[in-house]
Amino acid sequence: MSVVRDAVRMARSFVTGMGITFRQMFQPAATVHYPDDKPDLPTGSRGIPVLKVNAETGELNCTACGLCARSCPPSCIEVIEETDANGKRMRRPLVFNIDMGKCMVCNLCIEACPFDALEMAVHFELSGYAPEDLVFDKNQLATIWQNFDSVRIAGGEKIG
Amino acid sequence: MWESLPPIAQQLIITVIKVTILLGFVGVNFLFLVWMERKISARMQSRVGPYSVGKHGSLQLLADGVKMLSKEDVRPATADRWIWTLAPLVTFFPAVMLYTTIPISPNWTVGSDLNIGLVYLAAISSFTLVGIFMAGWGSNNKYSLLGSMRAAAQLLAYEIPLVVSVLGVVMMAGSLNLRDIVDAQQNAWYLFPQILGFIVFFIAGLAELNRAPFDMAEAEQELVAGYFTEYSGIRWGLFLWAEYTNMFTISALATLLFLGGWHGPPFLPPVVWFMIKSYCLVFVMMWIRWTLPRVRIDQLMDLGWKFLLPVSLLNMLITGIFVVMR
Amino acid sequence: MGTGATRMADRQEAMADKDMARGVVLQPQDTETMEQAIRRRFEAEELDRRERMTINFGPQHPSTHGVLRVLLTVEGETIIDAQPDIGYLHRNWEKIVEGWTYPMVIPFSDRNDYLAAIANEQVITGAIEKLLELEIPERAQLLRVLVFELQRIASHLIWFGTFGMDSGAVTPFLLAFRDREMCYTLFEKLTGARLLYNYLRIGGLRNDVPPGWLDELKEFLDHLEHESLPEFINLLIKNEIFIHRVKGVGYISPEDAVAWGASGPVLRGSGVKWDLRKVDPYLPYDRFEFDIPVETGGDAHARCLVRIREMQESIKIIRQVLDQLEDGPVMAKLPRAIRPPKGEVYHRVESPRGETGVYLISDGSTKPYRIHWRAPSLIHLQMLPKLAKNHLLADLVIIIGSIDIVLGEVDR
Repeated sequence: MSVVRDAVRMARSFVTGMGITFRQMFQPAATVHYPDDKPDLPTGSRGIPVLKVNAETGELNCTACGLCARSCPPSCIEVIEETDANGKRMRRPLVFNIDMGKCMVCNLCIEACPFDALEMAVHFELSGYAPEDLVFDKNQLATIWQNFDSVRIAGGEKIG
Repeated sequence: MWESLPPIAQQLIITVIKVTILLGFVGVNFLFLVWMERKISARMQSRVGPYSVGKHGSLQLLADGVKMLSKEDVRPATADRWIWTLAPLVTFFPAVMLYTTIPISPNWTVGSDLNIGLVYLAAISSFTLVGIFMAGWGSNNKYSLLGSMRAAAQLLAYEIPLVVSVLGVVMMAGSLNLRDIVDAQQNAWYLFPQILGFIVFFIAGLAELNRAPFDMAEAEQELVAGYFTEYSGIRWGLFLWAEYTNMFTISALATLLFLGGWHGPPFLPPVVWFMIKSYCLVFVMMWIRWTLPRVRIDQLMDLGWKFLLPVSLLNMLITGIFVVMR
Repeated sequence: MGTGATRMADRQEAMADKDMARGVVLQPQDTETMEQAIRRRFEAEELDRRERMTINFGPQHPSTHGVLRVLLTVEGETIIDAQPDIGYLHRNWEKIVEGWTYPMVIPFSDRNDYLAAIANEQVITGAIEKLLELEIPERAQLLRVLVFELQRIASHLIWFGTFGMDSGAVTPFLLAFRDREMCYTLFEKLTGARLLYNYLRIGGLRNDVPPGWLDELKEFLDHLEHESLPEFINLLIKNEIFIHRVKGVGYISPEDAVAWGASGPVLRGSGVKWDLRKVDPYLPYDRFEFDIPVETGGDAHARCLVRIREMQESIKIIRQVLDQLEDGPVMAKLPRAIRPPKGEVYHRVESPRGETGVYLISDGSTKPYRIHWRAPSLIHLQMLPKLAKNHLLADLVIIIGSIDIVLGEVDR
């Protein structure tokens, strides 16, 4: 008798399970047809740190202080300050490279910047054909800032 | 011009045409079934399945076929050459041979109207076992060997309930000829009197096909791909072709034996009814595959020997009593 | 990555006087590799019979939950011995962080147990805060509880999906990931990242919740509790084939579990009622009412039931947090450079995998002197030979799935 009871219980569990998969067939799929449909990412989504451009002067806010490079855990930011012919410091970057091959988008560089020069943009399609293509210089970063959404902190509110 | 040919030439030409249609059907059926499987599994998993190649992915299989044919032919150096090479063919040809004896409508058979149809089917379907074992042995690989031995044990164990479950139908119809069995179901399907037989046949059929929940032998999770680990490209494609062809065969057999074959309301031709019923059963097989987890090998053996065989014998006993009393 | 010989020698020395080592852990001689050790034991115990095979399981394998290699000695289908071989994901974490300042260590700690990042962040920030004797604001504490329990739900959803896939049912994997995708979206709105957040900071949190986030969280909880979890339970957990696959597999008795240092669902599945959230609370868990799910089966089925009920308890906790949440700051006032006083501390949390702990030695500078990470998955993996003995090959996958290891924290 217990064999029959076991068989009935087995059959009932299968029928319930199969009912679930059957009903699942008629519900809309969760697929996003990338690259035809782009995913709808929320603001503050971390893609790549970018350099802000001052709207009036057209210059970068960055003064090449190097705090971001020092706070970066994998040391992927390279900052070299521009000096004029006499050796006077110009307080703007000659070289500002971020190696996206190493960057882990932890946001520490953006939080470290005291001059509001860095923001985190939503751009994630960063691939290239060679490792050198993953190193973004200051012009590329400024271009990305101009073309994509970026915020300082996700969720929009500042710390402390 | 047709009348001028001697009757034997006429028969030959008709047979050649029928065989060509049959082989074409085997090919188209494979493409359709794999597309169906991928689409159904995707919809059940909240995905879309093949989408870009052809409308709703219908030409995806052609693309996959071209890909398989264009792959590099890799043969393991230590494999037993002839056994390894012939294994996919030995698995595939019986699947096609079975098609010649399945009547899909009142007027169609290729070859003769076999009066021992069921015995022929049971015998030929055992050849698949030889092919699987050749694949496992010829690969000269521990994983393949383990996988093929598991598969061989499984197939042997489930042959017997498969055949015994059908004997009830044979007793009720009084003949081994598939056409007679279908004709005997004119008024009522054999599904209800033979419900136990149907369940045993279906479960044993799933196990014969190595499909989930009985696909231990090819379980990705354990031995990579079991007995066909060493096969790539079109060789693997042949194994897959054999599996899907057999899937349709088991469904077609179940339709003929239990679901009334081609009988149905007259607004559709009989062959269409046959196809609808068979493909419904194929859908049920796919549905089961994507819902249930896998049965472990020793539990599988228990199920075959200790449950299905007694149930099918019981079914035979009950049917026998009813037939004698009638 | 050290050679097999040096690691085995260390382990051997540590366990030299322990009875457990006998027959369970191999003890190779000084210059031996693992394979040579197995071969020697083969010959010593006359295992040289034709039915016994040595099979390599992994490291590239669809179901070992990461790059784990298990050296199996099988007789037919029965496992005689299963020796795990780790180190394929070793990234030198503990040494690298010795050169980084404390705020830099936190995003790096995410990557240890990458499926439950908040737990890692909580354990390291908790350790630093213990050394600094820092009190974090109340709203920050409650939000930490909230994200921790949300992370527990997300991690158990992955466990559920992969466990189903190990047993052969592929559909629950995709359905569980559809729900985990909703968790990812919630975390993305909160922190900006989907998997590795860098959200918990020393002294509190990085930012407060954005407007509307709490309502979305409530919607997600309702969907999970009333639609998804009953569906998952009916589809997989109550399925008789699944129950037959996991019942009686990988049994460990309560005494053995405690002796081997098991924790989390592995320990609670064997009947030991021990949860750090009640025993040694690292966050204000005493303000919330919740049960500790305990099962006495000791096998994979019991551990499975414990995790499902833990998901339900986590939903309860999050709802209570939402009720008790009040306005306030989310970050304490801190000096610019974090310089904990000289000292040592061991801090532990109840992560989804068990007791994740960190042993931190500070020498008074801005960089840690030494951090050692206690990974629960590594401790549980040591039990594998004992759990897998005399089971079939198919059960090995179920056993590894039921102890829920993440190779990131095993190898660091």
